[in-house]
Amino acid sequence: MSGAQGSSRGAQRLGEVVDRNRTITFTFNGKKYKGLEGDTIISALTANGVKIVSRSWKYHRRRGVMSGNYHDPNCHFQVNDEPNVRGAHRRLEEGMVVSTQNVSPSLKFDIGAVNQKLSRFLTAGFYYKTFIKPERLWPTYEKVLQRFAGGGKVAATGHHVPADKRYAHPDVLVAGGGPSGMSAALSAADAGSNVLLVEEEYELGGFLRWGTADELAVAQSLREKVAAHPKITTLTNAVVAGRYDQNWVSVIERGLPVVMESLIKVRTATLVAAPGLIERPYVFEGNDLPGVMLSTAVLRLVNLYAVKPGERAVVFTGNDSGIAAAEALRGIGVDVVQVVDARHGGGLVRATSSRGVLSGVELSDGSKVLCDLLVVAAGWTAPTTLLNLSGNHPVFDEAGARFVPGPDLDDTVFATGGLVGDGTIDEILAHGAAVGRQASERATNGSVTTVAPAFSPDPHLPLFFGTTKGIVDFSEDVSSKDLLTAAHEGYNSVELLKRYTTATMGPAQGKLETINTVAVLASANGESIEETGTTVWRPPYVPITLGALAGRSYEPVRYSPMQAWHESHGGINIVAGQWMRPEHYGDAAKEVSTVRSGVGIIDVTPLGKFELKGTDVTKLLNLVYVNKWSKLEVGAVRYGVMCGEDGVIFDDGVTGHLSEDRYFMSTTSSGAAGVYAHLESWLQTGFPEWDVTITNVTSAYASINIAGPQSRELLSKLVSDVDLSNEAFPYMNLRTGTIAGVPGCHMWRIGFTGELSFEIHVPAGFGAYVWETLMEHGADFGITPFGLEAQRIMRLEKGHFIVGQDTDGVTQGFSAGIDWLIKLDKDDFIGKPELQWQHDSGAGFRLVGIHPNDPKQVPTEASQIVIDGIIQGRITSSRFSPTLNRSICLGLVVPALAVAGTVVPIRLPNGTIIQGTVMEHHASYDHEGAKLRG
Amino acid sequence: MSRNKPVKYSALGLFKRGLSGKEWPRVWRDVDLKKTYDVVIIGAGVHGLSTAYYLAKNHGVKNVAVVDRAYVGGGGSGRNTAILRSNYLTPEGVRFYDRSVDLYRHLAADLNFNVMFAPRGHLTLAHNDGALRTMRWRAEVNKVQGIDSEVIGPEEIKKLVPYMDVSDDTRYPILGALYHPPGGIIRHDAVNWGYARAADAMGVEIHQKTEVLGINTAGGKVTGVRTNRGDVSAPIVINCTAGWATLIADMAGVKLPIITHPLQAAVTEPVQMFLSSVVVSGSLHVYVSQTDRGELVFGASTDPYAAYSMRSSLEFTEELAGHVLELMPSISKMRVLRQWSGLCDITPDFSPIMGFTEVEGFLVDVGWGTYGFKAGPASGEAMAQLAATNKTPEIISAFDLARFEEGRLASERGAAAVGH
Ligand SMILES: Cc1cc2nc3c(=O)[nH]c(=O)nc-3n(C[C@H](O)[C@H](O)[C@H](O)COP(=O)(O)OP(=O)(O)OC[C@H]3O[C@@H](n4cnc5c(N)ncnc54)[C@H](O)[C@@H]3O)c2cc1C
Repeated sequence: MSGAQGSSRGAQRLGEVVDRNRTITFTFNGKKYKGLEGDTIISALTANGVKIVSRSWKYHRRRGVMSGNYHDPNCHFQVNDEPNVRGAHRRLEEGMVVSTQNVSPSLKFDIGAVNQKLSRFLTAGFYYKTFIKPERLWPTYEKVLQRFAGGGKVAATGHHVPADKRYAHPDVLVAGGGPSGMSAALSAADAGSNVLLVEEEYELGGFLRWGTADELAVAQSLREKVAAHPKITTLTNAVVAGRYDQNWVSVIERGLPVVMESLIKVRTATLVAAPGLIERPYVFEGNDLPGVMLSTAVLRLVNLYAVKPGERAVVFTGNDSGIAAAEALRGIGVDVVQVVDARHGGGLVRATSSRGVLSGVELSDGSKVLCDLLVVAAGWTAPTTLLNLSGNHPVFDEAGARFVPGPDLDDTVFATGGLVGDGTIDEILAHGAAVGRQASERATNGSVTTVAPAFSPDPHLPLFFGTTKGIVDFSEDVSSKDLLTAAHEGYNSVELLKRYTTATMGPAQGKLETINTVAVLASANGESIEETGTTVWRPPYVPITLGALAGRSYEPVRYSPMQAWHESHGGINIVAGQWMRPEHYGDAAKEVSTVRSGVGIIDVTPLGKFELKGTDVTKLLNLVYVNKWSKLEVGAVRYGVMCGEDGVIFDDGVTGHLSEDRYFMSTTSSGAAGVYAHLESWLQTGFPEWDVTITNVTSAYASINIAGPQSRELLSKLVSDVDLSNEAFPYMNLRTGTIAGVPGCHMWRIGFTGELSFEIHVPAGFGAYVWETLMEHGADFGITPFGLEAQRIMRLEKGHFIVGQDTDGVTQGFSAGIDWLIKLDKDDFIGKPELQWQHDSGAGFRLVGIHPNDPKQVPTEASQIVIDGIIQGRITSSRFSPTLNRSICLGLVVPALAVAGTVVPIRLPNGTIIQGTVMEHHASYDHEGAKLRG
Repeated sequence: MSRNKPVKYSALGLFKRGLSGKEWPRVWRDVDLKKTYDVVIIGAGVHGLSTAYYLAKNHGVKNVAVVDRAYVGGGGSGRNTAILRSNYLTPEGVRFYDRSVDLYRHLAADLNFNVMFAPRGHLTLAHNDGALRTMRWRAEVNKVQGIDSEVIGPEEIKKLVPYMDVSDDTRYPILGALYHPPGGIIRHDAVNWGYARAADAMGVEIHQKTEVLGINTAGGKVTGVRTNRGDVSAPIVINCTAGWATLIADMAGVKLPIITHPLQAAVTEPVQMFLSSVVVSGSLHVYVSQTDRGELVFGASTDPYAAYSMRSSLEFTEELAGHVLELMPSISKMRVLRQWSGLCDITPDFSPIMGFTEVEGFLVDVGWGTYGFKAGPASGEAMAQLAATNKTPEIISAFDLARFEEGRLASERGAAAVGH
């Protein structure tokens, strides 16, 4: 045999999937090997005579190929920067760097293997019983435990290449492309349904692929029919990972270029589960030695890859699969020295080893046979995951010795193939075809008339464990002895046992080990398997990458239409919720003084904006705001505060009356989404009879606040159809008109900064144009753009609070100094009972203006006011005021301190205490509001 | 079988039994349900079990039954992500949770059961200046109370979590974090089993697969419970059923201001340790920690709807993965192994309800929402004292049921929503 193919590669097999003309070079633990195209990592390693491929999780025992499929817990590798790669599934690629995970220093000599020697002391859950004292040493022990555990390595750097997600909407989704799945897909498609057929392996065919010539021929003909059928879409190397409510199904497609996996989200009318059967291991001493393999692992290696897994084989079997494996082995030139058939009384006691690998077996008749390969065919597990996820509970079939789907399947979910029963190929095809038709009937017209032929498991021997103890969970290194000990200690239900020993909790997720775990527990409890029950299978069916689940992020960053201008004029961005907006343009203090003395403009586009229309809008406003809205004239605007049912302030803003049944509501920038949800929730669930329609127009308008004593002059240069004089357009009014030729602009006379100001909302497409025009015409006035920081300083000078900053999760209405606004004489409104209670009791903190006694000191926001060790308040906002040339604050304090003139101690984050004085008003600047009204 | 003779767990014991092959005694006994107890506790989660343990240990009340319709730790206590911390927002909350972390610190020795307490440090990330301000607020409140808690910047975060992307060109740049060194994780099941075993050793009975079907009262007083295994009388019944709390309270005619929401979690396959801290991001609705086994454990905020269903959703893992990769983009090849869901009993102020109800003898220890595991020891200790002395201990006085009628909310909204 040439080195290129590997020394254990045999002659051509009928169903072989490797291409003997294409050699692939890869390294395993630093050593160069060659394989063939079509090889998996494991088939190539086996072809090269590598027997020990990994070390086990806890005891670091040597491990070789066991189940030889995707789920094989012994075949996890680090491949390049990818951890936990399934080596019995992943195909070789040129230059692949494969290494064993979690060994030190090497696979051959692994320090962790001392655990093996200590295994009698390190039974499952041993760590709960030790390292208790002295307490200070536990962190050190913990580090040691961590060292022994763990899979592969993830790199610290590298980025996530987003894999785009897709959607699919078939009528029928068939999970599994074996004979039953293909048959179901074909008959559903023939019946007119659009079918999506998903197969985990690289090729359709299921177990037929490693079968006899006849079986291969059947597979081939089915494949051809499927490929030719226009109504079937087939995905191979893809897996149905989860089934969620209403047949919302996740499918993972693997092996794509650039991205590893991608997610397809499928809404299917009906789901056909046809995942076949998984061969279960058998529990006996030495069952995890390299060289002990399940019959299907051997069939795959021999018939798909023409690889000899050993030289001298013993086969222990309870079914025909073992016989088939023996035949395959003989066919490729392996010496099958003995077939021990449990159906004829044969029994296996233990496997023995030499130099860490299998060297022989001891049989129940007392004989010992030398061998380097032990094939085990004990029976099957039906992977009922998808049915479990559809609400079905599996039941134990005594005769078939496996759990099968329970009665009462969801009527949109069907099952066929090995999951349901055993039979000849014809029987399987017939059942699949009938179920496919049923699925199609249910998907298209709702009523199922086809009757599926009876199909149930054949009798199988209950071969779960033998007379000696062995490994039950290969992923987690849990032995039958561990399980028995734990059960006798009182962890004697499946749920407790699994949590205590971690059996079934590893990467194989119970597919290989659940049934044996349950069987051992049943024996410990002296119960039947049925009484013991099984665990819940949780999604996903197989582990899926974070990358596939994440896909591409569709969480947009929001910018106003003026963002380009800001960025080209020195605007420095700040993240404000979903928005990016300028914090300042270089010097916030200068921006403040320019606004206070002349004029400035700020981009306030992120403000939440809603148009409310309908005859019942005032009812809604009266419900959600604490103040009254019935008498708001057309053309007027009003400030309002919203509280939750707990009376806690959750948003504020201004709402204007545009025309008879149209209102325009503004909210805080960060609160917009929450307010929208709140309004809709009350409308839809509380008052569906109200005539109110809400349109979110937040990004339909660009919003600009023009502030400063010269704002009117500036605006009047651009507006001709609205009289902007104080008499015609007073404070707290709105007008709609044309600005710089742009019609349909809303102008509001309000002012957060405390200056005369106009907030204009212009159609978004004209935002940049209007902004630039304002800047141009404002040049004569020395106009400045100003950012969030300048606005924050000015609103603090003016004493306006910011919801969420000066209020918190317990700040009820009367705490914020809005007593004048809250109208308890109004009919019921949201939060009224709580506000009434607060009003009567006087409880809760109070928001006050505070001036630090040292005008140069600006206490950090969140500095606490602590008296006698008890928190009595805190600074919620603080800035140095360029206008007043001193530090100013807002703070929440207990009512006793909320008296003008009170001196309070403010504890800075570094522990220093400074003094501050409680002021008469929140506002430090123009408390009467003369400027606003001018 | 009467009393469970306690056999001490130790390295020496493991060694001896390893040599002799002698089995360990049962963790707790399976006994018949009696007709009468001094106290019946409904729910064998951490709250029910710790209450039973402290009743026996601190007050000598041992004629106690803990009944659960499923198995020990089958509710939230076996499904949570086991984050411990005390950096809450209200002084009452800080003081209470700090007591709990303190008890956890010495719990292994106290219970003679290694609960794997791992104070690895807890980071709450801030992605905008509002969040940063809240972090600063929490830090200041914590410091006044003597809790180790401070706001740190991106460079320090990077030192603690080398895999974190702290650059400023990400979708959600990290501006800083609240760092709480004593915060960490623990092995939840071990806590449950440890309490159960230690309580059992003092005579407390643990009855699994025992479902409470009704609560008997007479003249405004509780007289016992009805179960699937028969009636049991007791002058004191404590409701420790978290997500099912309102159903049990209804049986006694007590209304609780609680809504049950599902909360989901997920875990990845194990990889070598690379994340020592617990990382929480409120804005991204996600948190992550790595277990000693090497798995990453993820959680998020509660599902937005009320339900008793414990089904998982695909959206949960999608959003979670997206947000985790925002924080640590290099781990995109890790695989999600399993997802699950539990129930959370949410109160209006995100604080628990502990204490008396209008039905004499019917006590509640509920409203644990998404944060109750860390509270297990302190609430058990306080509830035991309350049950034994018929007086509310000072440490839980802010958390009584009456506060909802008297307007004394103890809001942890800002500190509990995602942080758990
Ligand atoms: C996914 C998730 C993550 C979480 N993460 C954290 C975290 O990181 N940190 C944290 O501190 N908290 C966390 N929590 C919250 C925490 O799990 C719970 O608050 C806590 O476990 C509640 O404990 P308990 O003992 O009160 O209730 P549970 O543990 O829920 O126990 C209640 C018990 O009552 C039983 N029961 C119900 N009805 C009946 C009946 N009729 N008769 C008898 N028995 C009944 C149930 O079977 C159950 O065992 C999380 C929760 C979830 C779901």
